[in-house]
Amino acid sequence: MKSLRFLLSWHLLLRNWRSGELKILATALALAVAIVSAIAIFSDRLDQSISRQSNTYLAADRVVSSRFLIPTQWSSKPLEFSLQQSHTTEFSSMVFAGDEMQLAAVKAVADHYPLRGNLMVSQIAFAVGDEITPARGIPKEGEVWIDSRLIPLMNVGLGDILTVGNKDFIVSNIVISEPDAGAGFAVFGPRVLMNAIDLDATGVIQTGSRVTYKWLLAGDEKNLAQFEQWLTPNLGDHYQYVTIKNSQQNISLALERGTQFLMLAAIIGVLLASVAISITAQQFSNRHIDQVALLKSLGASAFLVRQLYFFQIIMLGVLASLVGISIGEILQRIIAVSLSSLFSIELVGASFSAYGVGLMTGLLCLVCFALPPLWHLPKVSPLKVLRRELAVDSIGVWLKGSIGLGAIVLLVWIYSGDSFITLTIVASLIVIVLISALLAFTLLHSSKRIGSQAGSYWRLALSNLQRYRTQNITQILVFACALMLLMVLYSVRTSLIKEWQLQIPENAPNHFLLNISPSEKVSVQALITRQNLTPSPFYPMVLGRLTAKNNIDFTKLDQQKSNALRRELNLSWSENLAANNILTEGVWWNQWQSSTGLPGVSVEAEEAAEIGLAIGDVISFSLGGLVLQAEIASIRSVDWNSMTPNFYFLFSPGALDEYSANFLTSVFIPNQQRALIATLLKEYPTITVIEVGKIIQRIKVIIDQVSKGIELMLWLVLLGGVLVLIAAVNASMNARMKETGLLRALGSGKKLILRSLSMEFATLGFIAGIIAVFGAETLLLGLQYLIFDGQIKPHFELWIIGPFVGATLIASIGLLCCRKVVSIPPSIVLRELDM
Amino acid sequence: MIKVSNLSKSVGTAEGALTILDNISLSVESGESLAVVGASGSGKSTLLGILAGLDSPSTGDVALADHIISTMDEEGRAAIRAQHVGFVFQSFQLLPGLNALENVMLPLELHGVQGAQQKAQNYLERVGLAHRLTHYPKQLSGGEQQRVAIARAFANTPSVLFADEPTGNLDAVTGSTIIDLLFELNKAQGTTLILVTHEQRLADRCRRQITLEAGLLISDSANDSRTTAVSASVELSSSY
Repeated sequence: MKSLRFLLSWHLLLRNWRSGELKILATALALAVAIVSAIAIFSDRLDQSISRQSNTYLAADRVVSSRFLIPTQWSSKPLEFSLQQSHTTEFSSMVFAGDEMQLAAVKAVADHYPLRGNLMVSQIAFAVGDEITPARGIPKEGEVWIDSRLIPLMNVGLGDILTVGNKDFIVSNIVISEPDAGAGFAVFGPRVLMNAIDLDATGVIQTGSRVTYKWLLAGDEKNLAQFEQWLTPNLGDHYQYVTIKNSQQNISLALERGTQFLMLAAIIGVLLASVAISITAQQFSNRHIDQVALLKSLGASAFLVRQLYFFQIIMLGVLASLVGISIGEILQRIIAVSLSSLFSIELVGASFSAYGVGLMTGLLCLVCFALPPLWHLPKVSPLKVLRRELAVDSIGVWLKGSIGLGAIVLLVWIYSGDSFITLTIVASLIVIVLISALLAFTLLHSSKRIGSQAGSYWRLALSNLQRYRTQNITQILVFACALMLLMVLYSVRTSLIKEWQLQIPENAPNHFLLNISPSEKVSVQALITRQNLTPSPFYPMVLGRLTAKNNIDFTKLDQQKSNALRRELNLSWSENLAANNILTEGVWWNQWQSSTGLPGVSVEAEEAAEIGLAIGDVISFSLGGLVLQAEIASIRSVDWNSMTPNFYFLFSPGALDEYSANFLTSVFIPNQQRALIATLLKEYPTITVIEVGKIIQRIKVIIDQVSKGIELMLWLVLLGGVLVLIAAVNASMNARMKETGLLRALGSGKKLILRSLSMEFATLGFIAGIIAVFGAETLLLGLQYLIFDGQIKPHFELWIIGPFVGATLIASIGLLCCRKVVSIPPSIVLRELDM
Repeated sequence: MIKVSNLSKSVGTAEGALTILDNISLSVESGESLAVVGASGSGKSTLLGILAGLDSPSTGDVALADHIISTMDEEGRAAIRAQHVGFVFQSFQLLPGLNALENVMLPLELHGVQGAQQKAQNYLERVGLAHRLTHYPKQLSGGEQQRVAIARAFANTPSVLFADEPTGNLDAVTGSTIIDLLFELNKAQGTTLILVTHEQRLADRCRRQITLEAGLLISDSANDSRTTAVSASVELSSSY
């Protein structure tokens, strides 16, 4: 019997489909699922790809880094967790070529390096464009690949001998870029890349040598998570587990914001879809009351009716969701293809769960938004076949509203995974809807007064708006919500992209020049300006070691705790506080008074915390045998991603005058002028050049990719918004068609009807636009404050564009949906509506 | 077939209880045709609804095909309707999304009748719509739509057919043809016919007629001579 009912439901579904009602519901659902799946599938792929791409900056998915050797008993673990592994060993060493010697940053790499990203090499020094190719493997035993800078510095070329420690190597390639080159000042000296097999033969690494060992790991996120579970308790103090998040703040911030945006887009997409589904389900339900009454008069029990409708809706839901997922899949493929041609990202496949999200969202929307309006159908009295005026007990507006609200809370929570954000979004939406209803009522009311003095089109349009005030307020709210959500998404996307672009300006310095002696300062500056380039100011830099706090020497234990106590530090002075530095404690020089008579020093916040320094402490430095004491005047937080020179210790002006300082500057050198680096290194061999351009370039690529993805999401969600508008216009279509059909039958011309219809829709759109701008501003305020942490400022452009876009968009959609009214003879319109 | 005793129906209004039917008793034999006449608001349709099991009385008993339906809940009455009852409505009540054949098939499918399509087709042929099987209600005239409704009602071979103003939406000529068809099929299938109408001409064609006035049964008379005058054959023309 059940299969028979299933079959009957199927037949009814097919027949109802022809009648057109189900088409709207199915289309709404399919489009909703398509948007959600496209977002889910694409953002999953993008997320995974970007994570993987960003992981190329680690040359792996995860890295274990230490000053100590990675324990050999750990080496079997990656195999256990199905992960790939490799090793690098990094240290500074003097390298020799003939009579020339140079301090180089040596890196010994094991097989499979790099696990992520590419090692780029060339046969030409300072190569650009096509001259650069990805390396095949790593240097062979007995060979080294060297940095372009070493070629002019040491007068070496390919095939020449370069000595590292006790072993001679043949220079066989030039390293142009490494995925894990590192940011900031971490890399001193030009790179020499060798095979890990040769490491022992060099004899360079002795007990106590400063070496960084890195264990590179890559694999599935699931396996990595399991591995991490095993690793974390074994890490101890000396081993650090590095992920992209804690290694590259710039990229991780861009990623985080990008992910948050996608989350917001998905939430807005789902909200729009829910509204569309609710409207169409209500419409479907209204049209089916007579059908249910008939079925019941024919002997169908309430249970049978419920079964028949339940099966129909579930079949429709599953089919529409599958169609939606397929459309979503096609959409995201189109996006992926267009993206890959723009930025050549290699997108990894989406995880299976992303498809599940689409299906789950579809079914959840159906259950929470489509079923409540249909719930009362089985309770329709069969007596309605005789007495059409009989009222139908539908689920109360409050109950329907509560179910819908509950579903919205659940969906927002699923997508955001954050209760606070969920509560904020939902609470703001409720407040906005309530205030908007009041605003819509007032605006509609004032339009009445205007209408009484207007021409015939306007009078007809405005009196229509008045007559169906309740429906129109609802419709304005739906339009306003859709427009508001689209505006929010648009604004967030715009400010996000702008913020990213500001973060890394064009022509940001891409090279740092260090160790410029006072005698070289003027000529170096001249050499740079001759190339029509502008270096940033020359900062004095003195090397010094921090030895004591409040006249008590730091112990060996202290030195173990802090890296800064083990090495020479770059000390500088500055009159002004740099733009990217923020005082967290104390005051700057202009307000500072020394209590000890000593010069002042400002300390970077993290360093101060690590060493245990506080305002008023007197710290001692050893500068080439001389002692300098200073009183801590302030603590600063520093943005290390700013690509400008930053220092742990900044002294008050004049404090370093007695000590011989070297200078530091940064400069933007365009690709075509890169020969300048070779000239600089040749003429001033003691100068150290650090290239940060590649790091900037990488961050830019990531930001571009995320921005592009975000643009496309916006368009997808826009499609959802338009769908809601169509659904809302369609819901009021019967009444409008009947009325205009009647007007036409009474002799009104096409022109009058079309004009009055467009006025009516445009007025609805205009009012909705005003309310939407108000709502969008409120929501943006909350979002910027809570999620995006941005500056709170009004969006003036929205106040101008919003109402006009609303009027145009809704008038266009309205006219498109109503065109039938004027193209079909009024007798047919009226007859069809009587059916 | 139908036995009603002391049936009353009242509904609550703002002004207090309103009695729509007041202490009605009657019985209808199997195969009998009964016209319920009366002015608008006399309670005709309410009585029809209760007799057909679409509604329940406030007091009194109603038995349909030996089942006391007045004490049954909606589910129980639905089962009785499925087994015994057919309807023809003033407003036809065809589903707009279904074509003529599918509209007739609907009750058959609902009750799991085998060969529903063939049966529905036969009935449509009997009402003269063999050439309109795949037409949708909006493509059919009022008379044609009512013929589809009649085919749907008889296809399910009900014991009792309830007709509520079956010609109310039709012109005189078409109405007359529809009535001929209704009585012809009723006679051929031996169905009990309960017909609500305010048209005396139509009421006269039933074997018996009762008159309601303000919820009271004021007359119950037999019309034997008129019933025999019903034309035995119906010309199934599609001239309307």
